[in-house]
Amino acid sequence: MVETTSHIERRVMPDKTLGQIFVDNPRVSARNVDVFYGDKHAIDDISLDIGASQVISFIGPSGCGKSTFLRCLNRMNDTIDICRVEGEIKIDGRNIYDPLIDVVSLRARVGMVFQKANPFPKSIFDNIAYGPTIHGLASSKVELEQIVETSLQRAGLWEEVKDRLDQSGTGLSGGQQQRLCIARTIAVSPEVILMDEPCSALDPIATAKVEELIHELREQYTIVIVTHSMQQAARVSDRTAYFHLGKLVEVGDTKQVFTNPKHELTQDYITGRFG
Amino acid sequence: MTDQSTKNLSPRQASERVALTIKARKRKESQFLFIGQSAVAVAIGFLILLFAGILSKGIPGFFQHYVTLEVQLDAAKLDPTGQMTIESLSQGDFDGAVRDSLYLALGNPEGRKAKRDARKLISSGSSQRLMTYVLNHPQQMGSTVAMKFAVDDDVDSFLRGFISRETSEADRRISDLQISYIDILDAQNRLSYEISDYLFFGSASRDAEMAGIFGALIGSLFTLLVCIILAFPLGVGTAVYLEEMAPKNRLTEIIEININNLAAVPSVVYGIMGLAIFIIVFGMPRSIPLVGGIVLALMTLPTIIISSRAAIRAVPPSIRDAALGVGASKIQTIVHHVLPLAMPGILTGTIIGMAQALGETAPLLMIGMVAFIVDVPTGVTDPGTVLPVQIFMWADFAERMFVQKTSAAIIILLTFLVSMNGVAIFLRKKLERRW
Repeated sequence: MVETTSHIERRVMPDKTLGQIFVDNPRVSARNVDVFYGDKHAIDDISLDIGASQVISFIGPSGCGKSTFLRCLNRMNDTIDICRVEGEIKIDGRNIYDPLIDVVSLRARVGMVFQKANPFPKSIFDNIAYGPTIHGLASSKVELEQIVETSLQRAGLWEEVKDRLDQSGTGLSGGQQQRLCIARTIAVSPEVILMDEPCSALDPIATAKVEELIHELREQYTIVIVTHSMQQAARVSDRTAYFHLGKLVEVGDTKQVFTNPKHELTQDYITGRFG
Repeated sequence: MTDQSTKNLSPRQASERVALTIKARKRKESQFLFIGQSAVAVAIGFLILLFAGILSKGIPGFFQHYVTLEVQLDAAKLDPTGQMTIESLSQGDFDGAVRDSLYLALGNPEGRKAKRDARKLISSGSSQRLMTYVLNHPQQMGSTVAMKFAVDDDVDSFLRGFISRETSEADRRISDLQISYIDILDAQNRLSYEISDYLFFGSASRDAEMAGIFGALIGSLFTLLVCIILAFPLGVGTAVYLEEMAPKNRLTEIIEININNLAAVPSVVYGIMGLAIFIIVFGMPRSIPLVGGIVLALMTLPTIIISSRAAIRAVPPSIRDAALGVGASKIQTIVHHVLPLAMPGILTGTIIGMAQALGETAPLLMIGMVAFIVDVPTGVTDPGTVLPVQIFMWADFAERMFVQKTSAAIIILLTFLVSMNGVAIFLRKKLERRW
């Protein structure tokens, strides 16, 4: 055990990220992003482009900063007092950390699905309808019902819950709850969907359903998924970004990163030497 | 590792050693258990004693003796102008009507002393009762009706056995002649022992038989209303601000410490402050439920704030994250998600705070709600008193009847307090959620 990790420590962190960082017409582009938790330097000078209608997965060992970086993209880190973000993150060309930007409308455009499903303790209908209601996306009750139905259908949940829309969202199974949360995110018609280890609390069958869902959603949305499972990253994503100790080590096409990684650290992680 | 002189005992030796200590440990445990159980038994014992005392004194306070008399409703005497309005009736001789019915029942006593003794047998409020009856039943004018009047409180004391026949007349509050009249009425089955309507619907009075809690009850109601209208929004709003929106700096810390300390300030200090600020500086009238309500609101605020904060803090952050993630603003998150989930805890704290406020006496004494007020307050700016203060005042009066009525009023107050706490517990159980 001891030998393996010291062998890893001999690997050198790259000065710059390897692989293809930039894409044409990116949906999201991050430049020189640093994140500090108090004095701790959690994200170190990361630049990355995320293309439209793509699925990119963030992989890396625990504590490498992938969730932190993900939360920067919809400014959820604002809720943490000691967190400080520097650098530029542009979505559709506009820097989201500009003081003039309204965080509320940003979060309507960049949705988030959390690790543990967190449906509101309200009815299934109200869960989905909440977002469109507060953003004024439906001008009548009929429109609202249509949005709810469409979102549930896209999330693959409609058939299972159409007869019990007024029952509590918390009464569903774990996998159904997570799909409910995805439906809730879709209901506000975002451009980007961020997913923070969405399947880590689900059994394999529920996981498969969610992965299938991601596959269908990719047409319309840009999806960023943080995952601990490399098999999942390989199945689901077009591009993969490997994080290590707050730095972005390598990014590229999923196939290439998993079969022919450019950096030793990536290689070691993929082959299961640590993680 | 296989060294024989090691400090570790073999399992066999260890078991033997353990067996030796078991007896001592079990004994300590049973001792502690015994102490705990005795404490509970003593507490229950005192509780039983307390309730037995209150109930034995208080239950008779709910009853009163009444005498039934046939009263002739002579229109000429009672309603001289014949209009059947309050004005015309107040010119009528209701006293006379009551008196005449009493003399009739007693066989027409002769002489001034006899007549005076007879008159003192029934409550001085009887004429008022008769007038109210005539107002409500105008069709009875001209007939003879059987009316129940309360007996005078000295007669009631005699009937309950507090005044005995054996004491000499000079030491008694009722005369031999009055006792003989009482016997006559009793022989005619005119005396009855019933639930006192005066207790609930009468107001403050020096006459024990007419004294009731109605005025104090309404005063309490108005005071509590003012208190909750002020304390609830302010308390919940403060809790929300401190929990969700205030920056985590030194100033916020100081505010929190001060609020926690305020919860421990003796309530009479709030009364002194109310006197100094509202009555002396602002010149508000004394003894009104408005000032009383403000003082109680200030006193209850720390309780509501502290329990509301705890309730808000108990809402899991995942709910907030979910709401923020969908694009809700901070206020929307709080109002649509956090507050509804925190409401059971907030309500429980509020109801408990209100129950405390209901029983408060000292601060209200300081702002003057100890005055002897006969009229029932009709608004928050009418002078009034509250139930605990009424009890406090009655406890001062010497008549035995007042002792029983005081205990009865205590029972009523306790019933309100217990039911408010019961509602709080019920709400908490019912609205408890598992996320």
